[in-house]
Amino acid sequence: MGVAGEQCGDVLFMEPGGLRDLLRGLAGESALLSPTRTEHGFDLIRVEPGEAAVDPPWNGARTIPPLKGLWFRPAAVVARSTPETSGAGLDPAPIAVYGARACDLQGLAILDRVLRDHVFREPVYCASRERNLIISGDCTEPAESCFCTLLGGLPHPTAGFDLNLAPVSGGYVVEVGSARGRALVGQHTGRFAPASSEQVEERDRARQQVEERVRRQNERFATREPFERAIEKNLKTRIWGEVAATCVECGACNLACPTCHCFQLQDAAPSGAPLRFSLWDSCISAGHARMAGGGTPRLQLTERFKNHYYHKFVSFPRNWGVTACTGCGRCIDVCPGRIDKRSVLLQLETRWIPSEVAEVE
Amino acid sequence: MNDLQPMRARVEDVQVETPTIRTFVLRPERPVPFRAGQFVQLGIPGIGEAPFTPSSSPAVAERLETTVLRTGFVTNALHALEPGAEVGLRGPFGKGYPIDHFRDREVLVVGGGVGLAPLRALLYHLFSAMHWVRRVVIRYGARNPAELCFRRQYAEWAALERVDFLETIDRPAAGWNGRVGLVTTLLDDLDIDIPNACAVSCGPEVMLKFVTYKLLDIGLPPERIFLSMNRNMSCGMGICGRCNVGPFFLCKDGPDMCYADIKDIPYALG
Ligand code: SF4
Ligand code: SF4
Repeated sequence: MGVAGEQCGDVLFMEPGGLRDLLRGLAGESALLSPTRTEHGFDLIRVEPGEAAVDPPWNGARTIPPLKGLWFRPAAVVARSTPETSGAGLDPAPIAVYGARACDLQGLAILDRVLRDHVFREPVYCASRERNLIISGDCTEPAESCFCTLLGGLPHPTAGFDLNLAPVSGGYVVEVGSARGRALVGQHTGRFAPASSEQVEERDRARQQVEERVRRQNERFATREPFERAIEKNLKTRIWGEVAATCVECGACNLACPTCHCFQLQDAAPSGAPLRFSLWDSCISAGHARMAGGGTPRLQLTERFKNHYYHKFVSFPRNWGVTACTGCGRCIDVCPGRIDKRSVLLQLETRWIPSEVAEVE
Repeated sequence: MNDLQPMRARVEDVQVETPTIRTFVLRPERPVPFRAGQFVQLGIPGIGEAPFTPSSSPAVAERLETTVLRTGFVTNALHALEPGAEVGLRGPFGKGYPIDHFRDREVLVVGGGVGLAPLRALLYHLFSAMHWVRRVVIRYGARNPAELCFRRQYAEWAALERVDFLETIDRPAAGWNGRVGLVTTLLDDLDIDIPNACAVSCGPEVMLKFVTYKLLDIGLPPERIFLSMNRNMSCGMGICGRCNVGPFFLCKDGPDMCYADIKDIPYALG
């Protein structure tokens, strides 16, 4: 693979003790979010300054909750009644995230486009994005629901991190991805050594194996055509009613999704002074597109279900140049209706038959 | 700059148009230059905001009018406002009417109910530009005489040179001697030069649908039919996710859409 340690100044090696110290330091300066093992998998919780002394856990795949909520808050005050005070409360504390995965970083890159780098700047998102540090890691234990490779992703980060860690014998190969990451390394110089070519090779071998594993587990879901095409040719077929049959409209897939970013603005004056809140919304919920007077263009669940896929795989790419799915598989894990997006997309391709066309013009 | 932060606007006057429609004359703290068809988010601090297309002339940015049908939570609260009240305003958003397409054309304007409000901004624009449009033909319908919006202005409009205005009500009503029938009935024998005409329509979705079919019937191509669409538009920048018609987000790509762009999208017109 040609990535020799000696040639790449930014590939370093760190022992577990170094990582512990690094995280301990971060927990003191900012809100440190770190994976924590629960009976369901890894959750992401805030580490109190003293706690970072214990060995940081290694989450081999993404955490259960998406990271988006750290920046794109489930509920945030985004404006106030008087413009003079509108900046107040929009200066969130610095955060440091440990254990982000490639798909998390891709999710964040997508949200950056929409909430920060376009005409619109979501104020809380932008403010918290400026003050974050992200330490990501290679995936070592992908979940069965992981399908990043079907979306052109890889199970190891290639961009969007400050530091990336890959476990190798005796420690971690550390890649520096930003000036902020370089500064952090500078503060802890004693903890880092240049990675040897053996260490980098070990990392790359592990990467290849994990990538293979994710590819293999998704072979049966591979489609011949792009997902976009499968959806478009089914816009008027009845197949959506069948694939959505077990959907209970809970909206968990929206909440768990690292790219879903529908929000609703709600004005209220909880303590006298009017505030404007932004709240996460769900395109599966019946009220999502409801208009004044009660009418909605997507009355039927099947229409909303279809729109969910259409937006992610057809209209979002057209508007933003990237598919709004990272293949993290969280929607599969959280769905009480056992709906697997991969299988839905495959069915759209393979089960399409002309006689299913509901409306013929 | 916080895009979600409204500027302040003072309600200078409230005009009662119909039992359910009022026009609010607003003076925003800063001028709001807008194009006909673009919309603003108008809100009451602590209550909520909703999208409205100004019904006043786009030539005036310091003072704008929004004509509001009372139909839900925010509009109920707006209707309770009196002159002197303060509201919040964001915008303008959207593309507005594709005025350039109207050059040297006969412009057919078809409105229904409060749909005449956005169209009035367009009419003001067209009336000031009659040197480059051939004719303006207006057809308007409301459910009953009391719901005819801007009724005081019809005679004045009809009297303008190269402007033609006809109104109708859906069902016969006591004391009404004018035309009766849905607005589509006024499109049956139009004396317009179809090959050189374009149409703009705004009104309830079901009306838009039948107006569109009628326009296609009389020979207008989809490329020359423009519809002011209704969806739930909130952020105004194509982000918050609910105002889409297929791949288009009405708040940034509309709210006025060319029928050619949406005709193949399932359920675009309900
Ligand atoms: S989807 Fe891919 S990148 Fe994300 S956790 Fe699973 S294996 Fe890792
Ligand atoms: S998680 Fe499953 S059941 Fe819940 S809304 Fe999504 S698809 Fe429907």
